[in-house]
Amino acid sequence: MRISLRFSAAVAVLLFGGLQSAALAGEALTTNQPDDSLSFVDLTAMKEVARIKVGGKPAGIALSPDKSRAYITAPDSKELVEVDAVKRIVVRRLKLGGGPLGIAMHPTKQEIYVADWYTHKILIIDAVKFAVVGEIAVGKSPSGLAVTPDGSLLLSADRESDAVSIIDIASRKRIASIPVGKHPFGITIDPSGKRAYTANVKSDDVTVIDIPARKVIGHVPTGRRPYVVALADGRGFSTDQYGGSVTVFDLATLAPIKKIRACDHPEGIEADSSDSNVYVSCWGDDVLLRLDPTALKITGKAAVGDGPRAFGKFLR
Amino acid sequence: MLKRFAIAAAILGSLPAVALAHGPSRQKVEESVEINAPAAKVWAVVGNFQDMSWVPAVAKTEGKGGNKPATSQASNDGATRTLTLKNGGVIEEMLDDYDAKDMTYSYEITKVDVKVLPVNDYSSHITVTADGDNKSTLEWKGAFYRGYMNNDPPPNLNDEASKKAVEDLYKSTLAAVKAKIEGGK
Repeated sequence: MRISLRFSAAVAVLLFGGLQSAALAGEALTTNQPDDSLSFVDLTAMKEVARIKVGGKPAGIALSPDKSRAYITAPDSKELVEVDAVKRIVVRRLKLGGGPLGIAMHPTKQEIYVADWYTHKILIIDAVKFAVVGEIAVGKSPSGLAVTPDGSLLLSADRESDAVSIIDIASRKRIASIPVGKHPFGITIDPSGKRAYTANVKSDDVTVIDIPARKVIGHVPTGRRPYVVALADGRGFSTDQYGGSVTVFDLATLAPIKKIRACDHPEGIEADSSDSNVYVSCWGDDVLLRLDPTALKITGKAAVGDGPRAFGKFLR
Repeated sequence: MLKRFAIAAAILGSLPAVALAHGPSRQKVEESVEINAPAAKVWAVVGNFQDMSWVPAVAKTEGKGGNKPATSQASNDGATRTLTLKNGGVIEEMLDDYDAKDMTYSYEITKVDVKVLPVNDYSSHITVTADGDNKSTLEWKGAFYRGYMNNDPPPNLNDEASKKAVEDLYKSTLAAVKAKIEGGK
Protein backbone atom coordinates (compact mmCIF):
# COMPACT_ATOMS: atom_id res chain seq x y z
CA MET A 1 0.00 0.00 0.00
CA ARG A 2 2.67 2.38 1.08
CA ILE A 3 4.84 1.46 -1.87
CA SER A 4 2.06 1.98 -4.41
CA LEU A 5 1.19 5.38 -2.92
CA ARG A 6 4.75 6.52 -3.23
CA PHE A 7 4.82 5.18 -6.77
CA SER A 8 1.72 7.10 -7.85
CA ALA A 9 3.09 10.27 -6.28
CA ALA A 10 6.20 9.87 -8.39
CA VAL A 11 4.07 9.34 -11.51
CA ALA A 12 2.06 12.48 -10.67
CA VAL A 13 5.24 14.54 -10.31
CA LEU A 14 6.51 13.28 -13.64
CA LEU A 15 3.20 14.01 -15.36
CA PHE A 16 2.79 17.51 -13.98
CA GLY A 17 6.42 18.28 -14.51
CA GLY A 18 6.02 17.32 -18.16
CA LEU A 19 2.84 19.34 -18.63
CA GLN A 20 4.34 22.43 -17.10
CA SER A 21 7.39 22.44 -19.34
CA ALA A 22 5.21 21.98 -22.42
CA ALA A 23 3.16 25.11 -21.60
CA LEU A 24 6.00 27.43 -20.65
CA ALA A 25 8.61 26.58 -23.29
CA GLY A 26 11.07 24.41 -21.44
CA GLU A 27 13.99 24.50 -23.82
CA ALA A 28 15.82 26.62 -26.33
CA LEU A 29 17.79 24.96 -29.12
CA THR A 30 20.60 27.12 -30.50
CA THR A 31 22.43 26.32 -33.73
CA ASN A 32 26.07 27.11 -32.98
CA GLN A 33 27.46 27.73 -36.44
CA PRO A 34 31.28 27.84 -36.02
CA ASP A 35 31.05 25.08 -33.39
CA ASP A 36 29.04 22.77 -35.72
CA SER A 37 26.72 21.98 -32.83
CA LEU A 38 23.25 22.34 -31.32
CA SER A 39 22.87 23.43 -27.68
CA PHE A 40 19.86 22.50 -25.53
CA VAL A 41 19.21 25.12 -22.85
CA ASP A 42 16.89 24.41 -19.90
CA LEU A 43 14.93 27.67 -19.66
CA THR A 44 13.90 27.24 -16.04
CA ALA A 45 17.47 26.86 -14.84
CA MET A 46 18.88 28.99 -17.71
CA LYS A 47 21.56 26.38 -18.17
CA GLU A 48 22.86 24.40 -21.13
CA VAL A 49 21.99 20.76 -20.44
CA ALA A 50 23.23 19.10 -23.63
CA ARG A 51 25.19 19.82 -26.77
CA ILE A 52 25.22 17.57 -29.83
CA LYS A 53 27.31 17.58 -32.99
CA VAL A 54 25.38 18.56 -36.13
CA GLY A 55 28.09 19.46 -38.67
CA GLY A 56 27.84 21.51 -41.87
CA LYS A 57 27.87 24.88 -40.02
CA PRO A 58 24.25 24.80 -38.78
CA ALA A 59 22.27 28.06 -39.01
CA GLY A 60 18.50 27.86 -39.58
CA ILE A 61 16.08 25.98 -37.33
CA ALA A 62 12.40 25.02 -37.33
CA LEU A 63 10.42 22.75 -35.02
CA SER A 64 7.70 20.24 -35.84
CA PRO A 65 4.17 21.25 -34.71
CA ASP A 66 4.43 18.91 -31.69
CA LYS A 67 7.97 20.25 -31.02
CA SER A 68 9.43 16.76 -30.87
CA ARG A 69 11.64 17.25 -33.93
CA ALA A 70 13.99 20.03 -34.95
CA TYR A 71 14.91 20.68 -38.57
CA ILE A 72 18.21 22.40 -39.13
CA THR A 73 19.85 23.84 -42.24
CA ALA A 74 23.56 23.20 -42.69
CA PRO A 75 24.69 25.61 -45.45
CA ASP A 76 28.29 24.38 -45.63
CA SER A 77 27.39 20.72 -46.21
CA LYS A 78 24.22 21.86 -48.07
CA GLU A 79 22.02 19.60 -46.00
CA LEU A 80 18.81 19.50 -44.03
CA VAL A 81 19.35 17.74 -40.68
CA GLU A 82 16.55 16.17 -38.65
CA VAL A 83 17.04 16.03 -34.88
CA ASP A 84 14.96 14.12 -32.34
CA ALA A 85 14.63 16.92 -29.78
CA VAL A 86 13.54 14.55 -27.00
CA LYS A 87 16.31 11.98 -27.38
CA ARG A 88 18.71 14.72 -28.54
CA ILE A 89 20.12 12.79 -31.47
CA VAL A 90 20.52 13.43 -35.20
CA VAL A 91 18.01 11.16 -36.94
CA ARG A 92 18.32 11.83 -40.68
CA ARG A 93 20.31 14.01 -43.11
CA LEU A 94 19.18 15.09 -46.57
CA LYS A 95 21.53 16.56 -49.18
CA LEU A 96 19.85 19.57 -50.77
CA GLY A 97 22.70 21.30 -52.66
CA GLY A 98 22.67 25.06 -53.24
CA GLY A 99 22.69 27.26 -50.15
CA PRO A 100 20.04 26.17 -47.62
CA LEU A 101 19.58 28.79 -44.89
CA GLY A 102 16.11 30.00 -43.83
CA ILE A 103 13.63 27.33 -42.75
CA ALA A 104 10.03 27.04 -41.54
CA MET A 105 7.59 24.22 -40.95
CA HIS A 106 3.87 24.10 -41.72
CA PRO A 107 1.67 24.32 -38.57
CA THR A 108 -0.35 21.19 -39.42
CA LYS A 109 0.97 19.55 -42.61
CA GLN A 110 4.11 17.41 -42.64
CA GLU A 111 5.89 19.96 -44.83
CA ILE A 112 9.15 21.80 -44.36
CA TYR A 113 10.20 24.85 -46.38
CA VAL A 114 13.87 25.65 -46.97
CA ALA A 115 15.05 28.88 -48.62
CA ASP A 116 17.97 28.51 -51.02
CA TRP A 117 20.20 31.56 -50.63
CA TYR A 118 22.04 30.99 -53.92
CA THR A 119 19.49 29.56 -56.34
CA HIS A 120 16.59 31.86 -55.39
CA LYS A 121 13.94 29.30 -54.68
CA ILE A 122 12.19 27.59 -51.82
CA LEU A 123 12.33 23.83 -51.54
CA ILE A 124 9.36 21.90 -50.22
CA ILE A 125 10.34 18.83 -48.20
CA ASP A 126 7.96 16.07 -47.15
CA ALA A 127 8.81 15.60 -43.46
CA VAL A 128 7.67 11.95 -43.43
CA LYS A 129 9.48 10.78 -46.57
CA PHE A 130 12.26 13.29 -45.85
CA ALA A 131 12.55 14.08 -49.55
CA VAL A 132 12.22 17.18 -51.73
CA VAL A 133 8.74 17.16 -53.30
CA GLY A 134 8.62 20.57 -54.93
CA GLU A 135 10.11 24.02 -55.35
CA ILE A 136 8.89 27.58 -55.73
CA ALA A 137 10.78 30.37 -57.50
CA VAL A 138 10.99 33.58 -55.44
CA GLY A 139 13.13 36.74 -55.37
CA LYS A 140 16.91 36.85 -55.00
CA SER A 141 18.58 35.26 -51.97
CA PRO A 142 15.52 34.28 -49.95
CA SER A 143 16.45 34.33 -46.25
CA GLY A 144 13.85 34.21 -43.50
CA LEU A 145 10.66 32.16 -43.95
CA ALA A 146 7.40 32.17 -41.99
CA VAL A 147 4.01 30.47 -42.39
CA THR A 148 0.71 32.10 -41.39
CA PRO A 149 -0.91 30.37 -38.37
CA ASP A 150 -3.80 29.10 -40.56
CA GLY A 151 -1.24 27.38 -42.80
CA SER A 152 -2.42 29.07 -46.00
CA LEU A 153 0.49 31.39 -46.83
CA LEU A 154 4.27 31.18 -46.78
CA LEU A 155 6.26 34.43 -46.69
CA SER A 156 9.91 34.74 -47.68
CA ALA A 157 12.23 37.69 -47.13
CA ASP A 158 14.10 37.97 -50.45
CA ARG A 159 17.26 39.68 -49.29
CA GLU A 160 18.86 40.81 -52.56
CA SER A 161 15.50 41.84 -54.08
CA ASP A 162 14.54 44.12 -51.14
CA ALA A 163 11.13 42.44 -51.18
CA VAL A 164 8.90 39.87 -49.50
CA SER A 165 7.28 37.07 -51.50
CA ILE A 166 3.84 35.80 -50.54
CA ILE A 167 3.27 32.20 -51.58
CA ASP A 168 -0.02 30.35 -51.69
CA ILE A 169 0.82 27.03 -50.06
CA ALA A 170 -2.04 25.04 -51.65
CA SER A 171 -1.08 25.95 -55.24
CA ARG A 172 2.65 26.32 -54.44
CA LYS A 173 2.76 29.60 -56.34
CA ARG A 174 4.05 33.06 -55.57
CA ILE A 175 1.03 35.35 -55.59
CA ALA A 176 2.64 38.65 -54.55
CA SER A 177 5.95 40.44 -54.05
CA ILE A 178 5.96 43.42 -51.71
CA PRO A 179 8.86 45.94 -51.73
CA VAL A 180 10.28 46.48 -48.22
CA GLY A 181 13.47 48.07 -46.77
CA LYS A 182 16.99 47.20 -47.92
CA HIS A 183 18.05 43.57 -47.52
CA PRO A 184 15.29 42.01 -45.42
CA PHE A 185 16.65 39.02 -43.48
CA GLY A 186 14.34 37.67 -40.77
CA ILE A 187 10.55 37.63 -41.16
CA THR A 188 7.99 37.19 -38.37
CA ILE A 189 4.21 36.79 -38.62
CA ASP A 190 1.95 37.78 -35.71
CA PRO A 191 -0.41 35.22 -34.05
CA SER A 192 -3.43 36.63 -35.93
CA GLY A 193 -1.73 36.08 -39.27
CA LYS A 194 -2.54 39.65 -40.27
CA ARG A 195 0.85 41.29 -40.03
CA ALA A 196 4.43 40.46 -40.94
CA TYR A 197 7.61 42.18 -39.78
CA THR A 198 10.91 42.10 -41.68
CA ALA A 199 14.26 43.13 -40.22
CA ASN A 200 16.11 45.03 -42.96
CA VAL A 201 19.86 44.59 -42.54
CA LYS A 202 21.01 47.44 -44.82
CA SER A 203 18.40 50.14 -44.10
CA ASP A 204 18.46 49.68 -40.31
CA ASP A 205 14.71 49.38 -39.96
CA VAL A 206 11.75 47.04 -39.68
CA THR A 207 9.05 46.97 -42.37
CA VAL A 208 5.51 46.20 -41.19
CA ILE A 209 3.30 44.46 -43.77
CA ASP A 210 -0.47 44.09 -43.80
CA ILE A 211 -0.69 40.52 -45.16
CA PRO A 212 -4.36 40.43 -46.34
CA ALA A 213 -4.03 43.87 -47.99
CA ARG A 214 -0.61 42.97 -49.45
CA LYS A 215 0.80 46.36 -48.55
CA VAL A 216 3.30 48.07 -46.27
CA ILE A 217 1.85 49.76 -43.19
CA GLY A 218 5.02 51.45 -41.97
CA HIS A 219 8.65 51.32 -40.94
CA VAL A 220 10.37 51.38 -37.55
CA PRO A 221 13.99 52.59 -37.16
CA THR A 222 16.26 50.13 -35.32
CA GLY A 223 19.90 49.78 -34.27
CA ARG A 224 22.49 48.89 -36.89
CA ARG A 225 21.96 45.71 -38.93
CA PRO A 226 18.71 44.30 -37.55
CA TYR A 227 18.46 40.54 -37.97
CA VAL A 228 15.06 39.24 -36.80
CA VAL A 229 11.97 40.53 -34.97
CA ALA A 230 10.15 38.88 -32.05
CA LEU A 231 6.68 39.86 -30.82
CA ALA A 232 5.47 39.85 -27.20
CA ASP A 233 3.15 41.83 -24.98
CA GLY A 234 2.11 44.29 -27.70
CA ARG A 235 5.69 45.09 -28.54
CA GLY A 236 8.21 44.26 -31.23
CA PHE A 237 11.85 43.40 -30.48
CA SER A 238 14.59 43.53 -33.13
CA THR A 239 18.06 42.09 -32.68
CA ASP A 240 20.56 44.69 -33.95
CA GLN A 241 23.75 42.85 -34.90
CA TYR A 242 26.24 45.71 -35.22
CA GLY A 243 24.42 47.82 -32.63
CA GLY A 244 24.64 45.05 -30.02
CA SER A 245 21.14 46.03 -28.94
CA VAL A 246 17.52 44.95 -28.93
CA THR A 247 15.25 47.73 -30.23
CA VAL A 248 11.80 47.68 -28.63
CA PHE A 249 8.81 49.28 -30.41
CA ASP A 250 5.08 49.57 -29.90
CA LEU A 251 3.06 47.35 -32.26
CA ALA A 252 0.07 49.69 -32.30
CA THR A 253 1.82 53.02 -32.91
CA LEU A 254 5.07 51.60 -34.40
CA ALA A 255 6.94 54.12 -32.22
CA PRO A 256 10.30 53.06 -30.76
CA ILE A 257 10.15 52.53 -26.97
CA LYS A 258 13.64 51.64 -25.89
CA LYS A 259 16.99 50.33 -27.01
CA ILE A 260 18.26 47.64 -24.67
CA ARG A 261 22.01 47.05 -24.62
CA ALA A 262 22.20 43.29 -25.13
CA CYS A 263 25.39 41.61 -26.37
CA ASP A 264 27.81 41.30 -29.29
CA HIS A 265 25.87 40.37 -32.44
CA PRO A 266 22.44 39.39 -31.12
CA GLU A 267 20.73 37.20 -33.73
CA GLY A 268 17.89 34.67 -33.30
CA ILE A 269 15.10 35.99 -31.08
CA GLU A 270 11.79 34.43 -30.05
CA ALA A 271 9.08 34.98 -27.44
CA ASP A 272 7.58 32.05 -25.56
CA SER A 273 3.89 31.35 -26.22
CA SER A 274 2.76 33.00 -22.98
CA ASP A 275 4.67 36.25 -23.74
CA SER A 276 6.45 35.89 -20.39
CA ASN A 277 9.97 35.91 -21.76
CA VAL A 278 11.89 36.70 -24.92
CA TYR A 279 15.06 34.75 -25.65
CA VAL A 280 17.99 36.19 -27.59
CA SER A 281 20.84 34.26 -29.12
CA CYS A 282 24.18 36.12 -29.00
CA TRP A 283 26.52 35.08 -31.80
CA GLY A 284 29.47 37.15 -30.57
CA ASP A 285 29.28 36.33 -26.86
CA ASP A 286 28.21 32.65 -27.10
CA VAL A 287 25.25 33.06 -24.75
CA LEU A 288 21.47 32.87 -24.73
CA LEU A 289 19.85 35.85 -22.98
CA ARG A 290 16.44 35.98 -21.32
CA LEU A 291 14.63 39.29 -21.60
CA ASP A 292 11.54 40.43 -19.69
CA PRO A 293 9.27 41.97 -22.38
CA THR A 294 7.33 44.08 -19.85
CA ALA A 295 10.12 45.36 -17.61
CA LEU A 296 12.44 45.55 -20.67
CA LYS A 297 15.37 44.10 -18.75
CA ILE A 298 17.78 41.22 -19.27
CA THR A 299 16.91 38.71 -16.54
CA GLY A 300 19.05 35.68 -17.33
CA LYS A 301 21.95 34.31 -19.28
CA ALA A 302 23.16 30.84 -20.28
CA ALA A 303 26.48 29.93 -21.90
CA VAL A 304 26.13 27.90 -25.13
CA GLY A 305 28.45 26.70 -27.92
CA ASP A 306 30.52 29.03 -30.11
CA GLY A 307 28.53 31.36 -32.39
CA PRO A 308 24.83 30.65 -31.72
CA ARG A 309 22.60 31.87 -34.58
CA ALA A 310 19.23 30.18 -33.89
CA PHE A 311 17.78 31.60 -37.09
CA GLY A 312 14.12 30.55 -36.96
CA LYS A 313 11.85 29.09 -34.28
CA PHE A 314 14.01 27.57 -31.60
CA LEU A 315 11.85 27.33 -28.44
CA ARG A 316 10.13 24.12 -27.38
CA MET B 1 33.33 17.59 -78.58
CA LEU B 2 31.68 20.66 -80.06
CA LYS B 3 28.32 19.34 -79.02
CA ARG B 4 29.56 18.96 -75.46
CA PHE B 5 30.69 22.59 -75.47
CA ALA B 6 27.32 23.70 -76.77
CA ILE B 7 25.56 21.83 -73.98
CA ALA B 8 27.87 23.33 -71.37
CA ALA B 9 27.26 26.82 -72.78
CA ALA B 10 23.52 26.26 -72.69
CA ILE B 11 23.68 25.15 -69.06
CA LEU B 12 25.79 28.16 -68.10
CA GLY B 13 23.45 30.48 -69.97
CA SER B 14 20.46 29.15 -68.06
CA LEU B 15 22.01 29.81 -64.65
CA PRO B 16 20.34 32.64 -62.72
CA ALA B 17 22.14 35.99 -62.56
CA VAL B 18 24.77 36.28 -59.85
CA ALA B 19 23.10 37.86 -56.84
CA LEU B 20 26.25 38.68 -54.87
CA ALA B 21 25.06 37.14 -51.64
CA HIS B 22 27.79 36.76 -49.06
CA GLY B 23 28.90 33.40 -47.66
CA PRO B 24 26.51 31.52 -45.40
CA SER B 25 28.78 31.34 -42.32
CA ARG B 26 29.94 34.48 -40.57
CA GLN B 27 33.51 34.10 -39.31
CA LYS B 28 34.67 35.18 -35.88
CA VAL B 29 38.20 36.08 -34.83
CA GLU B 30 39.07 37.10 -31.26
CA GLU B 31 42.64 37.82 -30.25
CA SER B 32 43.96 39.46 -27.12
CA VAL B 33 47.29 40.27 -25.52
CA GLU B 34 48.27 41.04 -21.95
CA ILE B 35 50.37 44.17 -21.69
CA ASN B 36 52.45 45.18 -18.68
CA ALA B 37 51.23 48.77 -18.63
CA PRO B 38 48.27 50.70 -17.19
CA ALA B 39 45.08 50.50 -19.29
CA ALA B 40 45.07 54.29 -19.83
CA LYS B 41 48.51 54.08 -21.42
CA VAL B 42 47.39 51.34 -23.82
CA TRP B 43 44.18 53.23 -24.65
CA ALA B 44 46.28 56.33 -25.41
CA VAL B 45 48.03 54.28 -28.12
CA VAL B 46 45.04 52.46 -29.66
CA GLY B 47 42.02 54.60 -28.69
CA ASN B 48 42.16 57.27 -31.39
CA PHE B 49 40.07 56.24 -34.40
CA GLN B 50 42.02 58.67 -36.57
CA ASP B 51 45.38 57.08 -35.82
CA MET B 52 46.05 53.48 -36.83
CA SER B 53 49.84 53.88 -36.69
CA TRP B 54 49.88 51.13 -34.02
CA VAL B 55 49.10 48.58 -36.75
CA PRO B 56 52.44 47.75 -38.41
CA ALA B 57 50.78 47.03 -41.79
CA VAL B 58 49.35 50.57 -41.95
CA ALA B 59 51.44 53.33 -43.60
CA LYS B 60 48.96 56.20 -43.33
CA THR B 61 45.61 57.07 -41.69
CA GLU B 62 43.50 59.84 -43.23
CA GLY B 63 40.02 60.60 -41.96
CA LYS B 64 37.42 62.98 -40.69
CA GLY B 65 34.93 63.27 -37.86
CA GLY B 66 37.37 62.53 -35.02
CA ASN B 67 36.00 59.91 -32.66
CA LYS B 68 32.35 60.70 -33.27
CA PRO B 69 30.16 57.71 -34.12
CA ALA B 70 27.07 57.99 -36.34
CA THR B 71 24.35 60.18 -34.76
CA SER B 72 21.40 58.11 -35.89
CA GLN B 73 21.64 54.54 -36.95
CA ALA B 74 20.67 54.90 -40.59
CA SER B 75 22.48 58.18 -41.19
CA ASN B 76 25.93 56.70 -41.89
CA ASP B 77 27.49 59.97 -40.74
CA GLY B 78 30.00 58.48 -38.30
CA ALA B 79 33.68 59.38 -38.36
CA THR B 80 35.50 57.78 -41.27
CA ARG B 81 39.10 56.87 -42.01
CA THR B 82 41.01 55.64 -45.00
CA LEU B 83 43.95 53.37 -44.28
CA THR B 84 46.76 53.12 -46.78
CA LEU B 85 48.77 49.98 -46.19
CA LYS B 86 52.51 49.62 -46.62
CA ASN B 87 51.83 47.26 -49.54
CA GLY B 88 49.72 49.96 -51.23
CA GLY B 89 46.30 48.49 -50.38
CA VAL B 90 43.52 50.82 -49.26
CA ILE B 91 40.76 50.16 -46.68
CA GLU B 92 37.87 52.52 -45.93
CA GLU B 93 36.25 52.33 -42.50
CA MET B 94 33.50 53.98 -40.44
CA LEU B 95 33.13 54.39 -36.68
CA ASP B 96 29.97 52.75 -35.27
CA ASP B 97 30.38 53.18 -31.54
CA TYR B 98 32.90 54.89 -29.26
CA ASP B 99 33.17 54.87 -25.47
CA ALA B 100 36.33 56.41 -23.98
CA LYS B 101 35.21 55.65 -20.42
CA ASP B 102 34.91 51.92 -21.13
CA MET B 103 37.95 52.13 -23.44
CA THR B 104 36.23 50.49 -26.38
CA TYR B 105 35.18 51.33 -29.93
CA SER B 106 33.63 49.49 -32.83
CA TYR B 107 33.91 50.13 -36.53
CA GLU B 108 33.12 48.55 -39.86
CA ILE B 109 34.88 48.30 -43.20
CA THR B 110 32.88 50.19 -45.81
CA LYS B 111 35.17 49.40 -48.75
CA VAL B 112 38.00 46.97 -49.34
CA ASP B 113 39.26 44.93 -52.26
CA VAL B 114 39.38 41.21 -51.43
CA LYS B 115 42.96 41.25 -52.75
CA VAL B 116 43.86 43.55 -49.84
CA LEU B 117 41.87 41.73 -47.15
CA PRO B 118 39.67 38.76 -48.20
CA VAL B 119 36.54 39.75 -46.26
CA ASN B 120 32.99 41.05 -46.76
CA ASP B 121 30.69 42.79 -44.28
CA TYR B 122 33.48 43.14 -41.74
CA SER B 123 32.81 44.72 -38.32
CA SER B 124 35.17 44.93 -35.37
CA HIS B 125 35.59 45.87 -31.71
CA ILE B 126 38.75 47.12 -29.99
CA THR B 127 38.73 47.05 -26.18
CA VAL B 128 41.24 47.74 -23.41
CA THR B 129 40.55 46.24 -19.97
CA ALA B 130 42.49 47.00 -16.79
CA ASP B 131 43.93 44.02 -14.87
CA GLY B 132 45.09 45.94 -11.82
CA ASP B 133 47.09 49.18 -11.92
CA ASN B 134 49.99 48.14 -14.11
CA LYS B 135 48.57 45.45 -16.32
CA SER B 136 45.93 45.46 -19.01
CA THR B 137 44.44 43.38 -21.79
CA LEU B 138 44.04 44.63 -25.34
CA GLU B 139 41.40 42.72 -27.29
CA TRP B 140 40.56 42.86 -31.01
CA LYS B 141 37.43 41.10 -32.21
CA GLY B 142 36.25 40.77 -35.79
CA ALA B 143 33.08 39.47 -37.46
CA PHE B 144 33.01 39.04 -41.22
CA TYR B 145 32.12 36.85 -44.18
CA ARG B 146 34.64 35.21 -46.49
CA GLY B 147 36.13 37.07 -49.46
CA TYR B 148 34.18 35.14 -52.08
CA MET B 149 30.59 36.13 -52.68
CA ASN B 150 28.34 33.23 -53.71
CA ASN B 151 28.63 29.48 -53.38
CA ASP B 152 31.66 27.18 -53.73
CA PRO B 153 34.56 29.59 -53.12
CA PRO B 154 38.08 29.16 -54.53
CA PRO B 155 40.67 28.17 -51.86
CA ASN B 156 42.19 31.66 -51.58
CA LEU B 157 38.84 33.25 -50.74
CA ASN B 158 37.13 30.54 -48.67
CA ASP B 159 36.17 30.68 -44.98
CA GLU B 160 39.52 29.28 -43.78
CA ALA B 161 41.64 31.65 -45.90
CA SER B 162 39.64 34.71 -44.84
CA LYS B 163 39.81 33.75 -41.19
CA LYS B 164 43.55 33.14 -41.38
CA ALA B 165 44.19 36.54 -43.00
CA VAL B 166 42.38 38.35 -40.17
CA GLU B 167 43.95 36.16 -37.48
CA ASP B 168 47.44 36.87 -38.83
CA LEU B 169 46.73 40.62 -38.91
CA TYR B 170 45.40 40.67 -35.33
CA LYS B 171 48.13 38.46 -33.85
CA SER B 172 51.07 40.28 -35.45
CA THR B 173 49.57 43.68 -34.57
CA LEU B 174 48.89 42.83 -30.92
CA ALA B 175 52.40 41.44 -30.49
CA ALA B 176 53.82 44.63 -31.99
CA VAL B 177 51.73 46.88 -29.70
CA LYS B 178 52.84 44.91 -26.65
CA ALA B 179 56.51 45.21 -27.68
CA LYS B 180 56.15 48.92 -28.44
CA ILE B 181 54.43 49.82 -25.13
CA GLU B 182 56.52 47.56 -22.89
CA GLY B 183 59.69 48.68 -24.67
CA GLY B 184 58.77 52.26 -23.79
CA LYS B 185 59.03 53.39 -27.41
